[in-house]
Amino acid sequence: MGQIEFHGVVKRFDNGFEALRNVSLSFEEGSMTFLTGHSGAGKTTFLKLLLCLDRPSRGRITVNGVDLGSLKARGLAFYRRGLGAVFQDHHLLTARSVFENVALPLRVAGMRERDVGRRVRAALTRVGLLERESMLPTQLSTGEQQRVGIARAVVIRPRVLIADEPTGNLDPDLSRDIMALFGQFNQVGATVIVASHDLQLIGGLNQRIVELSHGAVVRDIRPTPGSAHHG
Amino acid sequence: MAERGRRAGSKAPKEPWPKASVPGSWRRDHVRVAHDSFRHVSRRFGTTLLAWLLVGIALALPAALYLVQSGLAELTGRWDHRPGLSVYFEPGMGPDTLAAELREQFGVERVEVTTQEEALAEFGAQAQLADALGILEVNPLPASLRVVPVAGAGPADLERLAELARRHPGAAEVVVERTWLERVTAASVVARRLGAILGALFALGAVMVTATSVRLAIEGRLEELKVMKLVGASDGQVRRPFLYLGMLYGLGGGVLAAMLLSVGLTVVEAPLAGLLGSFEVEFEPAAFSLRFLAILLGAGTLLGVIGAVLAVRQRRASLDIL
Repeated sequence: MGQIEFHGVVKRFDNGFEALRNVSLSFEEGSMTFLTGHSGAGKTTFLKLLLCLDRPSRGRITVNGVDLGSLKARGLAFYRRGLGAVFQDHHLLTARSVFENVALPLRVAGMRERDVGRRVRAALTRVGLLERESMLPTQLSTGEQQRVGIARAVVIRPRVLIADEPTGNLDPDLSRDIMALFGQFNQVGATVIVASHDLQLIGGLNQRIVELSHGAVVRDIRPTPGSAHHG
Repeated sequence: MAERGRRAGSKAPKEPWPKASVPGSWRRDHVRVAHDSFRHVSRRFGTTLLAWLLVGIALALPAALYLVQSGLAELTGRWDHRPGLSVYFEPGMGPDTLAAELREQFGVERVEVTTQEEALAEFGAQAQLADALGILEVNPLPASLRVVPVAGAGPADLERLAELARRHPGAAEVVVERTWLERVTAASVVARRLGAILGALFALGAVMVTATSVRLAIEGRLEELKVMKLVGASDGQVRRPFLYLGMLYGLGGGVLAAMLLSVGLTVVEAPLAGLLGSFEVEFEPAAFSLRFLAILLGAGTLLGVIGAVLAVRQRRASLDIL
């Protein structure tokens, strides 16, 4: 049994558009998977369902055997504390400093301030932004904002890291750096699912690639055993 | 076998992963939110002051009426010239029997008897008509008695004594001197009821002011709240900053109301003391006590929290990322 399982998941919106069609997928704990496909293929919808930002119209999603549809408000909150999410548009708080943004999940989890400081600085060091900790996100470049988003996602040491087009606005070098960062995170045991349409970037990483097209899984390529690398 | 037993006894997991509870996190969250709320209030001091003023005025007006009502009640209790009951008798009828009967009654402090002769002498002395009265063959003035009730006696007590006097065969007229007491009591009742109505209306006003201020704060932080929920904040954690904000608006309004009342009392203290002094009553704003202050601040805080709860409920749909 995989850590994350999609069982015949369908997502149909009010206007009748089917974003996901009978998707059944399984993700093992500690695996790294790239979701790919054209724009509108259903990648973002897939990740939103996993983040419980939306509910499937049919089918069910289980994480460690628990149906996400059965989670109440409090259960949902605790579930999300085990996830790290990176978005293409960052979702950063523009009126708060970089430090405050990255500290948010730790404070929500009720961590002591001295631990918050230590872990935020460690996360900012990993993404190379320690010297920017007191700046506002609006004072940073797009790439730096994306790295703040990544620091915020990894600072809580999530069990599952989800990223939606994390390299969409970045140059190739920075994109590779960020993929390497996800790879490092995967190596310490986290399950990583990254949605990306950049086949050139993800093709060389020898990780599992799931291709979606018009809401359905059209390809599921497993990595060659013993040759996985992280950029 | 033992393994099977363990499996049968083990429950299916209810959560995808065990809840990692950090000791003291609830307390830490409250401290952090309180600190953030103070910072929010001090950074937007103009808006906060306006909310405090509105809540303060809304609290001060019914509170002032309560003070007036309490003052009137206090005044009637301490009034030395207590109203009484006068009984005038038929010519030739004496007041002694009824006087003795009334002295036995509960609530009677003393009974003052005036005979026909004493009445005539008093009238003559006051009107300087002694010579004119001397030519009258019959004393036309009736004997009378005045009942002085104990302190704190109300209109009902006086009415009970009057009814007893009316049943006496010699009593021609019974006059209850209750006008003053009734007026003060009626004014006190009006003040109390008006206070209750105004209190309810202004409390509603205070709730609306707080709800509006908190709603504006929610609007300003909507994106932040959504991100908070995204990283695992519970509904309680999302609500908490606004409940604290409402509490601060209400508490601040309560403090301001106390200040307004204090200033108001200082302004009217001297003329009021003079007025009451003319009635031989000492001015003592006893109702403005520590207890009153605590109730005022508590009421302000409670109204603030109610306003915040309403605002959060109204915007709950916007805060739901699912």
